[in-house]
Amino acid sequence: MAVSTVYTTQSFHSTCSISTPSKTHLGFNQKKQILFYNSGKKVTNRGIAAVPYVIRCSGDTLVIGLAADSGCGKSTFMRRLTSVFGGAAEPPKGGNPDSNTLISDTTTVICLDDYHSLDRTGRKEKGVTALDPRANDFDLMYEQVKAMKEGKAVDKPIYNHVTGLLDPPELIKPPKILVIEGLHPMFDQRVRDLLDFSIYLDISNEVKFAWKIQRDMAERGHSLESIKASIEARKPDFEAYIDPQKQYADAVIEVLPTQLIPGDNEGKILRVRLIMKEGVKYFNPVYLFDEGSTISWIPCGRKLTCSYPGIKFTYGPESYFGHEVSVLEMDGQFDRLDELIYVESHLSNLSTKFYGEVTQQMLKHSEFPGSNNGTGLFQTIVGLKIRDLYEQITASKAAAPLQATKA
Amino acid sequence: RTRLVAAAAPEQIEEKVAESIKEAEETCSENPVSGECAAAWDEVEELSAAASHARDRKKESDPLESFCKDNPETDECRTYDN
Repeated sequence: MAVSTVYTTQSFHSTCSISTPSKTHLGFNQKKQILFYNSGKKVTNRGIAAVPYVIRCSGDTLVIGLAADSGCGKSTFMRRLTSVFGGAAEPPKGGNPDSNTLISDTTTVICLDDYHSLDRTGRKEKGVTALDPRANDFDLMYEQVKAMKEGKAVDKPIYNHVTGLLDPPELIKPPKILVIEGLHPMFDQRVRDLLDFSIYLDISNEVKFAWKIQRDMAERGHSLESIKASIEARKPDFEAYIDPQKQYADAVIEVLPTQLIPGDNEGKILRVRLIMKEGVKYFNPVYLFDEGSTISWIPCGRKLTCSYPGIKFTYGPESYFGHEVSVLEMDGQFDRLDELIYVESHLSNLSTKFYGEVTQQMLKHSEFPGSNNGTGLFQTIVGLKIRDLYEQITASKAAAPLQATKA
Repeated sequence: RTRLVAAAAPEQIEEKVAESIKEAEETCSENPVSGECAAAWDEVEELSAAASHARDRKKESDPLESFCKDNPETDECRTYDN
């Protein structure tokens, strides 16, 4: 039996590669050797690594789906998520400047608008919106996501949001974590079955309206009427094709108007609910004080400064589309972000690496929208949960070949 | 060194948004529940989102940071880790 020592990153098989993590934030320890055993002439990929190096073979890419309507904070969520994994997410270098893809060390985010089968003129002629399944190529979406999950690079089209045309494709290499974000990540059953984890951002109509006013009122040509008309016109398709996807999500972040101020519809103070499905493998829902109990908690007092209208947490088991779920709710907003540590210390199962990581992540991006309320808090928590999921899946895959060689 | 600049200027998109709103209002005056009307307002939404993303990107750029990307060796840009 020959023993070969590998130092550099290289491929043995077309489908396998060894990657050296450049940073330690994912918890890998830095060792400098891997042993590969040759059985006969063929080099097998059953090498026993001391697991500092990740041996990536076909099927190692983790696929995460994020569904939300346009203008509902998908990009903020994406920036929080990629930040948990470390490193900044940037568009592919030297490619199409209007590319929707974001790439970081570990994560690649692709926008599902790139799978539009009809461009802007095509949709206008046929009288369909981008929300309509007829405007999207689910066969191509399935094929390409499947290929990337199997470790193959794909030539993905680019939908140009400025011109409304389908641009020439860009090459996307399979990342460690692939996030597909857009309107329909859970619409097609074949694509849905490829997802290792799925999230739905559910923004209530009142809040959506308030957010779009904030976003668009400065815009030329926009008025209250045009914003209202745009929401109303898209509503039938949204309710028919987008909204039903939330029943398949492993985690839903629901954003509602506050209940702390009676009759408030301004959308400034928010009641945010994190709905976590029970029984999902590698995903342990967060809980407050006591798992499975129903709890209402007002942290304001001597230890946490709150101005009007204060903060209220609620936690408890519920049923969501016939699934058993745990729901953590936060109503209100923080005045001082560093005091979030007080709340963090009462939450369990956060999948943090050290005490205070949630607070640290929130402080790191205090300028992002939602940093002083439940949207930022729950997005950060979901980010940590995804990191945990990734590490557990990677560990279980590394353990499987190890056991096979022992036997 | 040349640096990649976002292709579409925000002003250009803003003009498109205003145009698309006018167009949508016209389309919907004929038949407010047609697919054409929904598609026209969907275009407005898409362009508004693109405009807002372009505005965010513009806002984020710090004049010194962007200068330093091109000229990292100048006095005001040099940083040493230790």
